[in-house]
Amino acid sequence: MSEQATVLEPLRPTAQPSVIAPQALHYEIEQFLYLEAALLDEWRFREWLELIADDISYVLLTNTQALTRDRRRSVQPPLTYIFNEDKFQLERRVARLETGMAWSEEPPSRTRHFVSNVRILKHDAQTVELSCNYLIHRASKQQDIYSFVGTCQDKLRRTSNGAGWEVYSRELALDEFVLQAPNISILF
Amino acid sequence: MDDKLQVRPMVDAKNGQVTPEIYTDEAIYQLELERVFGRSWLFLAHESLIPKAGDFFTTFMGEDPVVVVRQKDGSVEAYLNQCRHRGMRLCHADSGNTKAFTCAYHGWAFGLDGGLTSVPLEEEAYRNKLDKSRWGLTRVPRITLYKGLVFGNWDANAPALEDYMGDMAWYLDGFLDRREGGTEVVGGIHKWTIECNWKLAAEQFCSDQYHAPYTHASAVQVLQASPANKADGKPLGEGQTPRPVWADALGGVQFSGNGHGSAFFFTEKPDANVWVDGEVSSYFRDTYPEAEQRLGKVRALRLAGHNTLFPTLSWLNGTQTLRIWHPKGPNKIEVWAFCICDRDAPVEVKDALIRSHARAFGPAGFLEQDDSENWVEVQKVLRGYKARQAEFCIQMGMGFEERRQDGIPGLTNYTFAETAARGFYQHWANMMSAENWSEINDLSAADQQEGV
Repeated sequence: MSEQATVLEPLRPTAQPSVIAPQALHYEIEQFLYLEAALLDEWRFREWLELIADDISYVLLTNTQALTRDRRRSVQPPLTYIFNEDKFQLERRVARLETGMAWSEEPPSRTRHFVSNVRILKHDAQTVELSCNYLIHRASKQQDIYSFVGTCQDKLRRTSNGAGWEVYSRELALDEFVLQAPNISILF
Repeated sequence: MDDKLQVRPMVDAKNGQVTPEIYTDEAIYQLELERVFGRSWLFLAHESLIPKAGDFFTTFMGEDPVVVVRQKDGSVEAYLNQCRHRGMRLCHADSGNTKAFTCAYHGWAFGLDGGLTSVPLEEEAYRNKLDKSRWGLTRVPRITLYKGLVFGNWDANAPALEDYMGDMAWYLDGFLDRREGGTEVVGGIHKWTIECNWKLAAEQFCSDQYHAPYTHASAVQVLQASPANKADGKPLGEGQTPRPVWADALGGVQFSGNGHGSAFFFTEKPDANVWVDGEVSSYFRDTYPEAEQRLGKVRALRLAGHNTLFPTLSWLNGTQTLRIWHPKGPNKIEVWAFCICDRDAPVEVKDALIRSHARAFGPAGFLEQDDSENWVEVQKVLRGYKARQAEFCIQMGMGFEERRQDGIPGLTNYTFAETAARGFYQHWANMMSAENWSEINDLSAADQQEGV
């Protein structure tokens, strides 16, 4: 009997009676997420990497079309990774962009990362778990426009890197079923 | 012969030229749906996706949606995914398990065998006059299973799958038959859209090793083994080739036959390419003796290179990506990429292969990104009238074809060649202009004589 590959699970639900974090903490976390977005949009990828922990797990899975009837009895088509990155691999993606020969990003595309619906799910003195939605608008080549919409669950920890926080886990979901873009050459 | 759209003059395989109108013209595309996709053996599914009775998998044959269904007796059938009443799409899930397919429009229900089993208000509205035996699902008349892959063909007069594959079966076996127990699909299926003609993608995987060093230069620079990339010089574990196989290989071969194509390099060690995880490469080394016993040295050592089974099934050895290029109009395709693993591989190898496959050839893959970008830009340029008239050059290695004496079958050339592209387009022109398979076969036989 052959063994099955490990089954990849979709993002778990996060909605719960609010954990109302102190307003100052909420503000601080939002500002951190906006800083990250701005660094990516300004092509300052090395500075962005400094906000990413060395033990980062950065995952984006595909999604599938399954009927409610099948979902109820856990008959669901399997998922796979679009991103499954550690720090080394994220750094290699940045290095790829720096070669000047990453053709899907030559000339570089213009992205705008929007972050919204930030909810702090858990927090203590050192860490924060949050959920947010993202919308990434990508304008590429002369007139190609792609958008990526989904949700994100982050785990942050306090550091002394200047920004005050680093991301050590990022789990992403993308709402599209069949991707409408020819490739994903940007960072989320 | 009925070359009603005059496509034969657009393909001049003998002189290594094609007119790019073949990638853009709507009338040509509609004829492709009829004459290429309506008569070729098309990949439908891997058997491992539908192991149990009632398991189904939805896909396309050309633009026709079909549902592939495991029967109670273990056989596989496929039907047009269309209710016979008023044409509604019958099944909306990617895959699942069911006892029946019930149409969401008026509730007609069909059994696993495609028969119409239940019609709402049959007595009151149809007065029991509907002959249900006449309104079963439209069945794909030819289904053949080959080493785990399920193929379908609409044409009752098409040759048997094995004859259709010809020498390409030898290359496909090298991918599917390395170990006892065969293969399975691991993980989910990547699906994405590329705005290009299906032939650009299919032909590249058929014939174009030449693009790799330049198109994929950035991926090679950042993933190849070097202290600059990672202090120990081994970015992704132990045992991969230090550089892409194409950079260090000892010669190689390209194959062309019946519109299919394949190419690879000769290597000394059964090591996978530099961007595959160490666990995967180690697995190939550990299982090499079994693979050599089953396949012989040349195919057992082959853990890289590209392949297309005409028209739209492609795969890459070593990274184990198998993909179908579903046509969606002359200017668009939907890519479905499956990760293929030996069924008896250990869990950690399957998991590592899923990661490796996504890293290299998922939609965000280090290599995949570059390919789609090329095809999209070619297609955009072809919006121009002049651009559509300017012939493309497919002359590489022309006249240097040979038939080898070492057991590698078919018409061959050096790896970097466009022999398989010439064969691909000539076969395409034959299918587009022939009225039936008997004519296609005659044309193919004549091409073989002339070494196209």
